[in-house]
Amino acid sequence: MAQGQHHIIPIRMLAIVFGLLLFLTLATVITAQIDLGLVNVPLALAIAGSKAILVALVFMALKYDNKVNLLVLVLGVVFAVVFLALTLADTELRGTIGITEPGTTELTVEPAESE
Amino acid sequence: MSSTGTTLKHYFVNHEQQFDAAKLGMWLFLVTEILLFSGMFVAYAVYRSWHPEVFAQASELLDWRLGALNTVVLLASSFTVALSIHFVQKGENDKVVVLLLMTLLCAAIFMVVKYFEYSGKFAHGVFPGAGFEPQGIIDGKDYSKYDIPFAPQFFSIYFVMTGIHGVHVLVGMGVFVWLVTRVARGHFSPQWYTPVELTGLYWHLVDIIWIFLFPLLYLI
Repeated sequence: MAQGQHHIIPIRMLAIVFGLLLFLTLATVITAQIDLGLVNVPLALAIAGSKAILVALVFMALKYDNKVNLLVLVLGVVFAVVFLALTLADTELRGTIGITEPGTTELTVEPAESE
Repeated sequence: MSSTGTTLKHYFVNHEQQFDAAKLGMWLFLVTEILLFSGMFVAYAVYRSWHPEVFAQASELLDWRLGALNTVVLLASSFTVALSIHFVQKGENDKVVVLLLMTLLCAAIFMVVKYFEYSGKFAHGVFPGAGFEPQGIIDGKDYSKYDIPFAPQFFSIYFVMTGIHGVHVLVGMGVFVWLVTRVARGHFSPQWYTPVELTGLYWHLVDIIWIFLFPLLYLI
């Protein structure tokens, strides 16, 4: 009876989560039609994140599971965030160092006259 | 009705440990999947932060109604998979077969909608890469007005991300077909249903990826 003792998630619980997921989908569609300026993008991401957490905790049963699986997922997400943060730290803050065409920065070195 | 899967490998203490090890292995695989997609999400974030107005404008060409339909379809398929695990744990395999077939149906609907979206875009010159040359008028939108600098980047990202996601849906469908035949042959029981559990985890992750793709590409 090895797997007989596993937690069986009640149908009611699964149905509630499914209902919440549909509701959040409706919410993200409606809020995206309204111009909220800078709020639109963070709001859409927050709703998507909530949906993902619902799926991971209940449908993927992490809420009831051995915590090592949750640790693996969280570590994976942490590294994805590090990847995103460090990349944006470069692309957003790189300044003029990437511009190599003459005349585009004050520190431009005159091109060598090789022709 | 026993099958090879029920045997306890000699290097495990008991079935419980064998099951937990299989599941941990699946989670490690899922993390590599998250990291695979994270590269594309980072590309999206960089290009969007460079050209936010172009991304907002180009996403108008994607029909959010089709994206929302596919979101609902995938959420429903995740629900049926979660239910199938509920019933395989209770040994009600007839219901498991029905639920997995419903999952397959949802996945097929998703791919059909995706097919119509892609072919609609190709028909109006919206290709990834150098072939990008939008033209024609659909739903009152003049596609030629979207032939603006950096719009091709948005669509390249759109096609690559949804394309690789679509490949995952197709792979999942293949696994579900295999799984249905095994459930129907009585291979699984409340004592051993590891493949159903692991396939379910994979499918939920594919759903989670779409949960992020839908607002990022279609809505904002």
